[in-house]
Amino acid sequence: MTRLAPDRLAALLLFAAAAATPLVVRDIFILDSVILILLWGSLSAAWNVAGGYAGQVSLGHAAFFGIGAYAAALMSARYAQSPWLGLAVGVLLSIGAGALIGYLSNRLRGPYFALSTIAFAEVLKIVASRWRGFTAGSEGVPVAFRPGFWTLGLGHVAWLYLILVVALLCYGLQVFLERSRVGYQLAGVREDEDAAEALGIATRRRKVQAVVLSAALTSMCGSLWAQYVGFVDPVHVFSIDLSVRFALNSIIGGMGTALGPFLGSVLITSLETYLRATFSGLKAGFSGIYLIIYGVVLILIVRFAPEGLTGIAGRFRAWRMRAHA
Amino acid sequence: MDPAGRLGPAQIDVLAQLSVSTVLLGSIYALVAVGLTLIFGIMRVVNFAHGEFLMLGMYLAFWSFTLWSIDPWFMLLIAIPLFFGVGLLTYVLVMRGVIHASHNVQIFTTVGLSTALQNVALVLWTGDYHVFRPWHSGVIVRLAGTAFNLSQVVAFVISVALTIALFAFMKWTHTGRVMRATAQDGEAATLMGIDTDRVYRLTFAIGIACVGVAGVLVSPLYAAYPQAGLQFVLLAYVVVVLGGLGDMVGAMLGSLIVAAVEVGGSYVFGAAWKEVLYFLLFIGVLVFRPAGLFGQRGAETLGV
Amino acid sequence: MLTLESVTKRFGGLTAVRAVSLEVRAGDLLGIIGPNGAGKTTLFNVIAGYYRPEEGRVRFDGRDVTGLPPHAISRLGLTRTFQIVKPFGNLSVADNVMIGALTRLPRVREARAEAERVIALCGLGPHARARARALPIALRKRLEVARALATRPRLLLLDEVMAGLNPAELGGIVDLVRRVHAAGVTLIVIEHVMAAMMRLAQRIVMLHHGEKIAEGTPSEVSRDRRVIDAYLGDEFNLAEA
Repeated sequence: MTRLAPDRLAALLLFAAAAATPLVVRDIFILDSVILILLWGSLSAAWNVAGGYAGQVSLGHAAFFGIGAYAAALMSARYAQSPWLGLAVGVLLSIGAGALIGYLSNRLRGPYFALSTIAFAEVLKIVASRWRGFTAGSEGVPVAFRPGFWTLGLGHVAWLYLILVVALLCYGLQVFLERSRVGYQLAGVREDEDAAEALGIATRRRKVQAVVLSAALTSMCGSLWAQYVGFVDPVHVFSIDLSVRFALNSIIGGMGTALGPFLGSVLITSLETYLRATFSGLKAGFSGIYLIIYGVVLILIVRFAPEGLTGIAGRFRAWRMRAHA
Repeated sequence: MDPAGRLGPAQIDVLAQLSVSTVLLGSIYALVAVGLTLIFGIMRVVNFAHGEFLMLGMYLAFWSFTLWSIDPWFMLLIAIPLFFGVGLLTYVLVMRGVIHASHNVQIFTTVGLSTALQNVALVLWTGDYHVFRPWHSGVIVRLAGTAFNLSQVVAFVISVALTIALFAFMKWTHTGRVMRATAQDGEAATLMGIDTDRVYRLTFAIGIACVGVAGVLVSPLYAAYPQAGLQFVLLAYVVVVLGGLGDMVGAMLGSLIVAAVEVGGSYVFGAAWKEVLYFLLFIGVLVFRPAGLFGQRGAETLGV
Repeated sequence: MLTLESVTKRFGGLTAVRAVSLEVRAGDLLGIIGPNGAGKTTLFNVIAGYYRPEEGRVRFDGRDVTGLPPHAISRLGLTRTFQIVKPFGNLSVADNVMIGALTRLPRVREARAEAERVIALCGLGPHARARARALPIALRKRLEVARALATRPRLLLLDEVMAGLNPAELGGIVDLVRRVHAAGVTLIVIEHVMAAMMRLAQRIVMLHHGEKIAEGTPSEVSRDRRVIDAYLGDEFNLAEA
């Protein structure tokens, strides 16, 4: 029996704790927090596939999130179909959008690519805000709660286990990427595209594949989120704040690692939930403090600890091993 | 408005109005874009937080008017050195450490800065829209069948003056030449004894001063709120990409083009869809001529 | 194995490579020399698919590969190294070489085994776990060769693999190149270090201003008037080669 690496162990504990929560706790607030932590973790993991593993840093992933959210919401609110169908449609649309973004990633490097992703999400935001006939414009789409699995009208405990499955899927995909041929090739693409090409890696194709996968996962989470929260409005679901948030979790936790996005999500979502709860009575604006903190933390982390918390943990372990040697 | 097109004197008036609108709007965009393009051209950093300094300029004008009845035009005199100082401070605290870092580090550093600044504004002043109307925003200037308010006209004059002054500075002073040399080849500049850190400091400070001043100038015309910078800065990026990153003249010409698209698009399609137009323009330029209409081909794939 | 038919590559007004024709047979060790700016690396870039030539064709095993993307050419059995080495800095030496091995071996386990074999062959054993970016230049050059070798190329293009090495390190690399050649890999080597080149290469081609100005055995080329003129005698002493 091989010993588990520390970060795999940590992930296992995290998911086990999440799974055990409903058995121990009845409080809706806590269940809701766990659901959000897992959801944000999954979204960040989805971003990580493109940003961390393939090196394609996008600041417009909210585009895919919004597509998924609207697909699910409209499918159930407008067409009275199951939101699962909407999820499927959203994934298909996002695959198309992802292919487009992937194409852009092959034409543009670094900041230029990031800019184009921002613009893409903004276009979708504006279109969704103005297209009254279809998306009900900036008023948003409320999603009625109809009990049942097919209509995704679930209780909190059921939601928790559903999102846990999604989180495990996203985590598992990342682990697969770390150990598989595709993953190694992506690492090569991320490190040095020219060198990767010289080794027979179809870099352009791989980048598109990574972005498409990332888009599909993000969209799926968006659809589930729409059903969970019950309301979709364009300014929120396509906002650049969301896009930054996906990246933020991964970077703080450790970009390009499987645990990183979930670790980041645990920290950030917990802090946000705590601050929101504490400051809800006073000026709601104070809850923005956590974002100031994150902005500053982001600046510090990318400069001094670019590998995020998992990297810091790794360095600490290595230091301790040397100290005891 | 009937976009079907009318003949006769009525149309000429509309055309004149649109043209002057374009120029007035373009001058503001130029001031914002010129700072952004300098920062990129010389420091090779895309400043994602640029819009937040514009937002701070707007708030500065708003609060000084609301609390102390200082007119924004007077505030300009304070804003220029103030934002210059803010730029210096930001450079020393934040930017200096990442000048030589990878693209990703730079992107996330300025994104983090942007997040932090937006939320400082949110926490201090809430997300409410803050509007104020000094005396000059109610004064209508009529010229050859066009009508504009005085705030717009003065904003135009000052923007143009500052942009031209900056251009002259870059072209004819020794420091300007030094900065342009650093833009061309940072390593060679160091080897020639140029203190590149000083150049970067100056560049960033100038860039922030420009955009802060632009914020003060537009404050009578637009509402101030924490995310106000976002719409302007995205526009500024369109301008900068169109004109070629690092190209000042390109930025000025690009501003006119973007302003024209916005004004014309607004007229034809209505204000609601104009944003879509310039974003599509943005993506179009990024895809087909990423180095801009006047920039060097291939610059964007070299990671320049 | 490799044929270049009158290949020309222009960049705007500059002609970097002008009507260069070349023939390389299986088992050859061809050297390419020339002053800086002669177009040697550009030629490699054209052969390996990074540039598309304005004129001329590149044939590998009789098949026209002109304009194919680099990864496709690599999969056909033609791999190149880079003059300024491009290691996958954040990955370990073992991972670097394994990524090369993955070209031919789809399974990670097999690729790892192959990588270990190649690492041993190239004398990188003790450094297998090290991060590539922590390596000194001599080891980076070895890594560059090892990684390319792991793709099991039939034709390997080595671009200034000896540049920047001290005499002790040089001997090691020359030995490595010899062993690679002996193992059956056809080689084209760009080099500035003349002494090594003269000992290694069977045939040498000289490029100057993008044109092929001389071709022949090392002794023929070293006596060629044009070659001597091009180097103006101040880069090295040909008599000592």
